[in-house]
Amino acid sequence: MQVQSMFFKRRASEKLADGLLQANMRKAKGKFVDARAKSVLEFGNWEPLRDYAAKLRDAALADLDAYLVEFEKNATARGSVVHWAETAEEACEIIAKIAKDNGVRKVTKSKSMVSEEVNLNERLEAAGVQVVETDLGEYILQLAHEPPSHIVAPAIHKSKEQVADLFTEAHGKPRITQIDALTREAREQLRGHFLSADMGITGSNFLVAETGTTLTVTNEGNADLVTTIPRIHCVIAGIEKVIPTLEDFACLVRLLPRSAIGQSITNYLTLTTGVKGPGDADGPEQMHIVLVDAGRTKFVGTDLQEMLRCIRCGACMNHCPVYQNIGGHAYGWVYPGPMGSVLTPVYVGIENAGDLPNAATFCGECAVACPVKIPLPDLMRKLRERQFEGHLRPWPERLGIHAWSALAVRPGLYAFAMKWAARVGSWLGGRDGLIHSLPGLDGWTKGRDMPAPSGRTFRDLYRERQGRR
Amino acid sequence: MKVGLFVTCLVDVARPGIGFAALKLLESAGCEVVVPATQTCCGQPGYNSGAREITRTLARKVLAEFKDCDYVVAPSGSCSGQVKASYAQDLFKDDPDRAEFEKLAAKWYELSDFLVNVLQVQSVPGRFEGTVTYHDSCSGLRELGIKMQPRFLLSMAGASVAEMAEAEKCCGFGGTFSIKLGEISTRMCENKCASARATGAKAIVGGDLGCLLNIEGRLRREGDHETKVLHFAQVIAGEG
Amino acid sequence: MSARENILARIRGAQGKPGAEPTAVDLDRVRAVMAHPVTGPQPAFAHPPDLLVQFLKECDRVGTTHAQVASDEGIPAEVARYLAATGLEPRLVAWPAFAALDWASAGIAIESRPARGDDRTGLTGSTCAIAETGTTLLLSSPEQPKVTALLPETHVCIVRRSRLLGTLEEAFALERREQGELPRSAFFVSGPSRTADIEQTMVIGAHGPYRVHVIIAP
Repeated sequence: MQVQSMFFKRRASEKLADGLLQANMRKAKGKFVDARAKSVLEFGNWEPLRDYAAKLRDAALADLDAYLVEFEKNATARGSVVHWAETAEEACEIIAKIAKDNGVRKVTKSKSMVSEEVNLNERLEAAGVQVVETDLGEYILQLAHEPPSHIVAPAIHKSKEQVADLFTEAHGKPRITQIDALTREAREQLRGHFLSADMGITGSNFLVAETGTTLTVTNEGNADLVTTIPRIHCVIAGIEKVIPTLEDFACLVRLLPRSAIGQSITNYLTLTTGVKGPGDADGPEQMHIVLVDAGRTKFVGTDLQEMLRCIRCGACMNHCPVYQNIGGHAYGWVYPGPMGSVLTPVYVGIENAGDLPNAATFCGECAVACPVKIPLPDLMRKLRERQFEGHLRPWPERLGIHAWSALAVRPGLYAFAMKWAARVGSWLGGRDGLIHSLPGLDGWTKGRDMPAPSGRTFRDLYRERQGRR
Repeated sequence: MKVGLFVTCLVDVARPGIGFAALKLLESAGCEVVVPATQTCCGQPGYNSGAREITRTLARKVLAEFKDCDYVVAPSGSCSGQVKASYAQDLFKDDPDRAEFEKLAAKWYELSDFLVNVLQVQSVPGRFEGTVTYHDSCSGLRELGIKMQPRFLLSMAGASVAEMAEAEKCCGFGGTFSIKLGEISTRMCENKCASARATGAKAIVGGDLGCLLNIEGRLRREGDHETKVLHFAQVIAGEG
Repeated sequence: MSARENILARIRGAQGKPGAEPTAVDLDRVRAVMAHPVTGPQPAFAHPPDLLVQFLKECDRVGTTHAQVASDEGIPAEVARYLAATGLEPRLVAWPAFAALDWASAGIAIESRPARGDDRTGLTGSTCAIAETGTTLLLSSPEQPKVTALLPETHVCIVRRSRLLGTLEEAFALERREQGELPRSAFFVSGPSRTADIEQTMVIGAHGPYRVHVIIAP
């Protein structure tokens, strides 16, 4: 996906003015949040589970190299071919070559965010391969030629009427707007593709080092068809996805669907290990696993490494008041919301996504919701530190911070400055005590008045009071 | 009991009345209150803008100013969160003075928490007739667990609290966020004002002046000059 | 240098470990971890007083219907009852393990082969079932094609009462004990296929079955 994160402010502004999007986001808002809250309550010992999972992910990351090598060894022993890709381009090349070498004409895909990262569909289509997204949300977006706006519910920004328009145009059938009928129509359209694809491509929620297993958690069943019917199965996964054991998966899967959508388990847990065995009735003849770096090692060993714990549940964006108001597309790349505001600047360069770490009030809802306790506000703050130290923020902002610092450490000067700020502010407020516009603060005053200071500082009034005593 | 009052920079410059309300509450409960004259700011604006070193300097300044106090109280969950959750745990995590900052954090209280849980006040000087709605500001709620304390105090003053939808949702202030990303901030505040107004309360009450200025500013811009926006200290001290 | 070497070297470099590949000591350490899997915190309902009660409760929650039979001989009659009650034709494609039952007496036409795209009802069996989440585990093998659980609109699955376990961890331990390793596909099914991708509204029957019916046999 083309990086558009440098235009965050403009894009956010457009989204705030988009009435249809706002209506769609309002409908979605809260559904995930309420369902998660309910299932967390019902679970009982949620906090110990989060603590345990965070440690488990940290331990896996501390030995990331060794677990990857073990995963490779165990996957290879079962007939999988493990590929390594340093960059997005390399990942695409590897998969395009597998397709070419095997005469692949049609690919069915289950939802994969890494494949969005690396622009896989575009690359395969350029090579003459038909790519069919089979997750309902992704299928809708493929018809709309849009990227996902949420990592779990990719088409959260679309209404059923918009889906109906897309289906009518693509399927040439009478327009229907009932959600169950639309779902059935997509099922009928996609069934033929499932049965006729040469290669299936999936992501992987986790890579189990112990067994060389890749696995997906889904509700629709599309990942199962994609991994079972075509003669080739290709997995594309970030290197950080590796976990030591199946028991670790059992732990993480208690967290993932509950955090994502409040479900105690997804309908399908699909564990695939190697190729079709002798005599097996179904399953692929070839299994390829592409391990992708594409920026992940930039987190390793840094003060941002905790970000790699992420299990892609989307709880942070579901709870984020900024995301709830602007939707995922405003963020300008694959990963929206708080997790994206940490991932994107590191993956694509902080100079290309400078507003993202600043697009947070640090309200802390994301950190509370995160199932693996990633301190997202702290990580965003660390990115802000990099920006501050690298002089990467606009000069008025830097000047403001320096001016404020210079005053705050000099109490005498500070008291004098505040005396005047209170006095001038009060004067600017006029009779109604409201400042309606103020140069330099138009970010505030465009949509709000600034209640004016009452005229004298606490410190002056207090000194007077003490003097009277 | 010697209690230091950390006034906060916003209260100092914009709403000194909140500072005096806090002072009145503490003194009427029998505390010996000191207000160090050199205090400026807890450092949060710099901290959240990525200016770490200057924040450390300010943190040391705060530490020194309140060294002799048994307790420190601030009429703000946000500043208290900065002191209690960031100084020792982050800024001085690997510093020889970490223990000093841990001590500071242990004796530092947000005002409502101090009144309810340390002083265990049974009455408050103020009276408020009518309904208010309470906005939970983020740092106080999520870093310090401030939730029932202000509601308890408000009920002592006779106010009835009508809960708004999404009382725990951020109002969009976020310090410099409100200026850097003003449009998003404004929309968040619009939502907050709508939730608050739907309760029909006479006043929106909170514990952090930043949020309150934000909410008041939006209400007035929307043409609502009736609904009061108050710090709980003003209400329970009878200075609303 | 290959991508593999570069990635491993970058990880090690960033974590202050010497060399470009994990050392024998590193590998021994992680192998020891993998050899002794540890179970994390589990909810109280993962260890219920009665596994069957918990299993059926979770089945209800995920939308799996269920019935119990006294012996395998009772399976065809129960399938016939279910198909009739649901308004489905009495025709099945089944895993070979169940082909020998007396289907004719129950009036059911059965074919023992992997399902195709146009089959309406598939019959499979679970290796074990998990009470915590109302889940059945299906393992792939020459006799156990996965498509039969996926392509038909209705999936009927036989669960052995004696193979009812509390948790996923117990299922993995059982697998290690009995098979030594995972087959190509280990497929955990909890209810009919579903999606909420349009307006976050739950719809049953996305790409997989619309109905899952579990029959618990001794």
